Amino acid sequence: MKRARIFHAGREQWAVVSDDGGTLMLANGEIVAAAQVHWLPPVAPGVSAYALGLNYADHSRELGFAAKQQTPLAFLKGGNSFVGHRGATPRPADANQMHPECELVAVIGRPARGVRASDALDHVAGYTVANDYAIREYLENYYRPNARVKNRDATTALGPWIVDAADVPDPQALSLSTRVNGVEVQHGSTADMILPVAGLIEYLSSFLTLMPGDLILTGTPHGVHFCSAGDEVVTEISRVGTLINHLVPA
Amino acid sequence: MIASGTIYGVALNDSDERARLESSFHDEPYKAPPAAPVVYIKPRACATIGGAPVPLPTGEPELVVAATLALLFAEDVCAVAPAAVWGRIAATCLALDVSLPAASYYRPAIAQRCRDGFLPLGDVGAPTLPAEIGTSIDGEEVHRWSLSRLVRPVETLVADLSAFMTLKAGDLLLVGVPGDAPRARAGQHVRIDAAGLASIETRIEEQRS
Repeated sequence: MKRARIFHAGREQWAVVSDDGGTLMLANGEIVAAAQVHWLPPVAPGVSAYALGLNYADHSRELGFAAKQQTPLAFLKGGNSFVGHRGATPRPADANQMHPECELVAVIGRPARGVRASDALDHVAGYTVANDYAIREYLENYYRPNARVKNRDATTALGPWIVDAADVPDPQALSLSTRVNGVEVQHGSTADMILPVAGLIEYLSSFLTLMPGDLILTGTPHGVHFCSAGDEVVTEISRVGTLINHLVPA
Repeated sequence: MIASGTIYGVALNDSDERARLESSFHDEPYKAPPAAPVVYIKPRACATIGGAPVPLPTGEPELVVAATLALLFAEDVCAVAPAAVWGRIAATCLALDVSLPAASYYRPAIAQRCRDGFLPLGDVGAPTLPAEIGTSIDGEEVHRWSLSRLVRPVETLVADLSAFMTLKAGDLLLVGVPGDAPRARAGQHVRIDAAGLASIETRIEEQRS
């Protein structure tokens, strides 16, 4: 089942998306056409969003880092950073090195504290797709990747929906891709994650409690492609979904 | 009060600490002094109210207990001018930003800063900018710092952050931590005070595992 957070009839609602993606069923049973809804990022206000850097060895090498970090490179994202399916992301005029990053996102379903990797997937409610843009000109070597790169308004597209974990039996067997104006610029497999979803939950829950609705953005494979204002950027993960984003001048 | 939005903190906003570290900023891995504010986020799992004890992780001798001021935003703040900042702040409170000792600022210090219970918050009150914040351990004052040490004072800090990220209504911003913050061990009682703000009193407790 796919659950989407939408703005419809004057309010925010969660709705169930039909198998073909053409319609959504609201909580009251009403059916609406997908073309008529406004997609919101499928994230409840106030949850914590964890993100991983350098979690694919090929991307680490591409950026000139060791294939494996001594400890996972994790950071957090604020609520300002998210934007929904078919949303617009500001591309600053001086951001000539702004690139998309297609990432599998695990959504926590049950509180997780001190969870072993072998049990970790029991704590996942579902999965969604993120396109977590980075702007390399704004990188600084303090708490890198720093907020001016990774915590900008509406620079993390998220959605279109959350697919139930039951429909994704193996989160480490999914293909990821990014297309810019129809041309594929990034392609990889979640099989190549250094720390898989279960290992990330084990790591984070070893010192904090992951709560329902919390997100883990699991990193991106290689394929750095710099984008321009006006570009249509499509990130897709098999079994999960296809997320569309537009870059607008800022 | 626990913020309904994101809880942000800012490292390296203490001029004394910056002066002490200045020579290292040109070396690896930093290569240049920080230009933008150095931001971190504390997840909601950190925040506690009412003096809940702070858990000391097994095997760790002590915690850094950094007293600071937290701003609660009343409305979304985007590209604001310094002079308009205080008009956007709904309330302030004291905050005890707890962390495990860490020497490096290169990578986000998640495992050091983002642990359950690592952010006791005081009761909120009308927006107040205290001159100083004091920290006592087991009844004896061990640290006192003046917010005049902030590299970016509150108005400049909020303005500079809002130039690239919106601080949203309900977000909380810790305005900076002293680089010489004291350390506390299991069993110790920690209290922070500032004129015009509700105190925080808590204890450090061995984590039950």
